[in-house]
Amino acid sequence: MFSRLLRTNPTISLTKASMRIWFRDRQAIFWTFFLPLVLISVFGLLDFGSFRTVDLGIVDRADNDASQKLIDEVRALGTFDISDDLSEEKEREALLDGDRNLLLIIEPGFGEAQSPAQRRVTVIYNEGEPQESAAGQTIIQHLLDEITFAEGNISERYTIDASPVDSRNLRFIDFLMPGVVAMSIMQMGLFSVAFSFLQLKSRGVLRRLQATPILPASFIFAQVFTRLTVSILQTLVLVGLAVLAFDVHLEGNLGFMLLLALLGGGVFVSMGFAVSGWAHTEDVAAPVANAIALPMMFLSGVFFPRDAMPEPLRAVADFLPLSYLADALRNVAVDGASLWSQWENVLGLTVWLAVTFFIAVRLFRWE
Amino acid sequence: MDHETHIVEVDDLRKSYGDLKAVDGISFSVSAGEVFGILGPNGAGKTTTVEILEGMRAQDSGSAIVNGIDVQEDPRAVKKIIGIQLQSSAFFDRLSLTEILDVMASLYHREIDARELLREVELDDRADALFKDLSGGQQQRFSVASTLVNDPILLFLDEPTTGLDPQARRHMWALVQRFKSEGRTVLLTTHYMEEAEELCDRVAIMDHGKIVAMDRPAALVDSLLNKGFKKKRTEKLANLEDVFLDITGRELRDE
Repeated sequence: MFSRLLRTNPTISLTKASMRIWFRDRQAIFWTFFLPLVLISVFGLLDFGSFRTVDLGIVDRADNDASQKLIDEVRALGTFDISDDLSEEKEREALLDGDRNLLLIIEPGFGEAQSPAQRRVTVIYNEGEPQESAAGQTIIQHLLDEITFAEGNISERYTIDASPVDSRNLRFIDFLMPGVVAMSIMQMGLFSVAFSFLQLKSRGVLRRLQATPILPASFIFAQVFTRLTVSILQTLVLVGLAVLAFDVHLEGNLGFMLLLALLGGGVFVSMGFAVSGWAHTEDVAAPVANAIALPMMFLSGVFFPRDAMPEPLRAVADFLPLSYLADALRNVAVDGASLWSQWENVLGLTVWLAVTFFIAVRLFRWE
Repeated sequence: MDHETHIVEVDDLRKSYGDLKAVDGISFSVSAGEVFGILGPNGAGKTTTVEILEGMRAQDSGSAIVNGIDVQEDPRAVKKIIGIQLQSSAFFDRLSLTEILDVMASLYHREIDARELLREVELDDRADALFKDLSGGQQQRFSVASTLVNDPILLFLDEPTTGLDPQARRHMWALVQRFKSEGRTVLLTTHYMEEAEELCDRVAIMDHGKIVAMDRPAALVDSLLNKGFKKKRTEKLANLEDVFLDITGRELRDE
């Protein structure tokens, strides 16, 4: 009885058919799963954004015991990537090319009494990488102080007892993963709906269905249900890869992320229907969908934080649906935020859902 | 003809597109079990008439009743009991023929033996194929099979043999005759006069949105002959199509 219902209920059988059709489409699978996976893998392997070692070039013009002692001390720290066997000219070139953060020049007469350079070294630093340059300068200053104290036999100094702790360091891949999840849900919702619907329309499949007593709601439910299922799968697959292969720490609740994926999926599926209603043909839908997706991809903080944007642009970018989705997913994934703490983003998405749904219904056409 | 057995009743039906009067006040009725043909040149209004009867298009005025149901009032109720073959049909990509038929049947809350249905149109060996991989004749036959999933009492066939080779055309004719023997009513449109002569109990000839003649094919021919009409060349007992079929056989050529 129940199994007969499963086979003879139009909504259920249309949904089953729509799922089969979607998962037999290799191209859709490629764009929806494979491409975001590649994106996460590439950035996972490159691991941008971690603090790199400080590249230090040393030019020893003094070439005496004191300068040698300083160089040995610097080397002993192990903090620097050191090069001291090149000519001054070559080192300056390397600094200008960005291959060095700092160039330490030890002037002639360093450490010799009565020499104007007794207690002086020259440091030329790369302004483009201020963090590394500043850290390097501080370390060198500290070393020189140590030497001074040693000379003056001052033994009672303030010291720091430093002890390491395993902190949660945010790597670029941690930042990127939730953004890529949000972006791929947007792409899937927008393009998969707009194109498959217009294709059914232009090839006459919708017309053939209209020759039957089909209810539009059954058909639309099948389409939407399929896409929302895919958005859940996308989230699971992408988060799974990031956690298993790239050691991304998932701080928050995966269930919250899946609920957000559903809500975001709803927004972009409605947007896809709106585009297909407005565009009439696939040739028009392609540029329209791209014109919506591309700016959001770069303005919504998927690949880099929106803080880096100029103020007027940011004011707009903050209200984009992809911004709400990416922010909420990121806050849950990275900071372990709860769903209710994300009420502002959830509200933003809900408003977008209402607006896009309204537009989609207004523009919807069978023919 | 008994009024009770009329399955289609059309009265003063009109439909315009801008200035063009596509259907200009036509009236006719079709009896249950009849094969009724609407003939006419392109643009005569055949397809518009059929689409109004199918509930796919609304008329401007006049009435169309199918099996006692006013089509404009309840197109869904009409669609439940009829089968529609569109001039060019398309189906879902990436579903096999049996999968498509199962989905189509579910739209009528029905369960069918899809393979049995495919056997009826000699497509059982392509049951797992995709629609797009079928030949033209096979697509046409599948399209007919898809109209049978709800066991309709009335079948609409819009130019069912256009573009088919003589073998496939004969096969389609045999199908139509079987539908008639099963007690179904068939309403078809065609450009081919020999098809109308072969299949139809009655025909209506349409031109410029009006019905200009309506009767049994033989009666229409007789009335022409009675006007003193003579063909320039006397008809032989066989024609070139008979020669073609004699040489190439009547078997379906699909692959």
